[in-house]
Amino acid sequence: MRAFDFVSAESADQAVSLLSEHGPNVIVLAGGTDILVDLKHAKHDPDVVVDITRAEDLKGIEVNDEGLRIGALVTHTQIMDDPYIQENFPALVHAAHTIGAVQTRNLGTLGGNLVTCVPSMDSGPALMALEAEVTVAGPDGTRRMGLEEFFVGPRKTVLEHNEVLLDVIIPRKNLAKPTDFLKFGLRKGQALALVNAASALWIGEGNAFKDVKISLGAVAPTVIRAAAAEDFLEGKEITPENMAEAGRLAVEDAKPIDDFRASASYRRDLIAVLTKRTLDNAYRLAQGG
Amino acid sequence: MTDVTLTINGEERSASVPPETSLLRLLRDEFFLTGSKLGCDVGDCGACTVIVDGLPVNACLMLAGQVDGRDVVTIEGLATLEDLHPIQKAFEEFASLQCGFCGPGVIIAAKGLLDRNPDPTKEEIKDALSGNLCRCTGYTKMIEAVQDAARILRGEKEAA
Repeated sequence: MRAFDFVSAESADQAVSLLSEHGPNVIVLAGGTDILVDLKHAKHDPDVVVDITRAEDLKGIEVNDEGLRIGALVTHTQIMDDPYIQENFPALVHAAHTIGAVQTRNLGTLGGNLVTCVPSMDSGPALMALEAEVTVAGPDGTRRMGLEEFFVGPRKTVLEHNEVLLDVIIPRKNLAKPTDFLKFGLRKGQALALVNAASALWIGEGNAFKDVKISLGAVAPTVIRAAAAEDFLEGKEITPENMAEAGRLAVEDAKPIDDFRASASYRRDLIAVLTKRTLDNAYRLAQGG
Repeated sequence: MTDVTLTINGEERSASVPPETSLLRLLRDEFFLTGSKLGCDVGDCGACTVIVDGLPVNACLMLAGQVDGRDVVTIEGLATLEDLHPIQKAFEEFASLQCGFCGPGVIIAAKGLLDRNPDPTKEEIKDALSGNLCRCTGYTKMIEAVQDAARILRGEKEAA
């Protein structure tokens, strides 16, 4: 690794001031599972690394007036172990469990996964299907936005060099909303998704899709919502045929690429299958089983 | 330089190292604890696994400055002068290792599992070891050894 200075922040405010003071060639270090690799491979060559792992105000999982708040520093293991999330959002537990392996889940953070912003991130789809918002802190205070706005492109978010991600909020209206997440990777451990997908829905009157949200990963420059599939389903009766048609429409929402993990054509097949299956699983969950 | 003071295998240790020093380099180059292996150095192989504040992590993915004040257990912290740790004994008894390079990381990952879950299923053991690559054994004998060590640690079986 090339030389850099190391400073540690005890709070989000202190992190912002350290980033402003030392910027712009600074980098925030949380779980380090991506950043340490990048530093070793000289993808980043910062003058200063600001460690935020001691910032207590970036930790914790709680339900408040706004909804479920998950601090940016919460690790994937902590999401898997949280009783409220286990009870109300099994899809988040499953998504966290598909990331890396035990060692990296003990280090890696939810905020880090979102900020690193690789298109195949496993934290993205379920949160986006649950219309999660993020809070960003900078020198001028905080701002709040949806994940669609937060994600800009591959490995790029709206964050400026002197801003940090504070937390992720799942809005109150979506607490315990039936949601399913599926990832298709080539192995169980240490695998990136070829495609991942999540669906969240309520059952409306007449067994109709209500507030159905579908999100896909690894099929576009960022995690995306499958708007055409959602629009098609809204208000329609919940049937296997409608779920399958939503899968076909979700393919149109995506722009998968050919790479060494899979062809675009294979990814299109996976989008249709995973969309249909996550809808089906979320529906079963909504029925209480 | 970054000054760090941490607990390693129950003993307080201090060092002053360049800020870009990883926990793994700190353990190996400053404290000569070479049981934690440098394999891939990017968090894929698990050969550097150590326990930090109770949880197994990749020592190659932490900076020395991040472990200041924290509690680290390495493979050197398991055996006593008199005896191997029950997991180490079980690995010996089941001939779970061949070349042995992955061994310290696997055994520490197994300890991390059994500390939290004394009676794991085979699937839970596989999950706990999925961050540790072994190219010799095919893992079967490791899984058997972890099951056996769990029985011994639960007091259901006498150590060999």
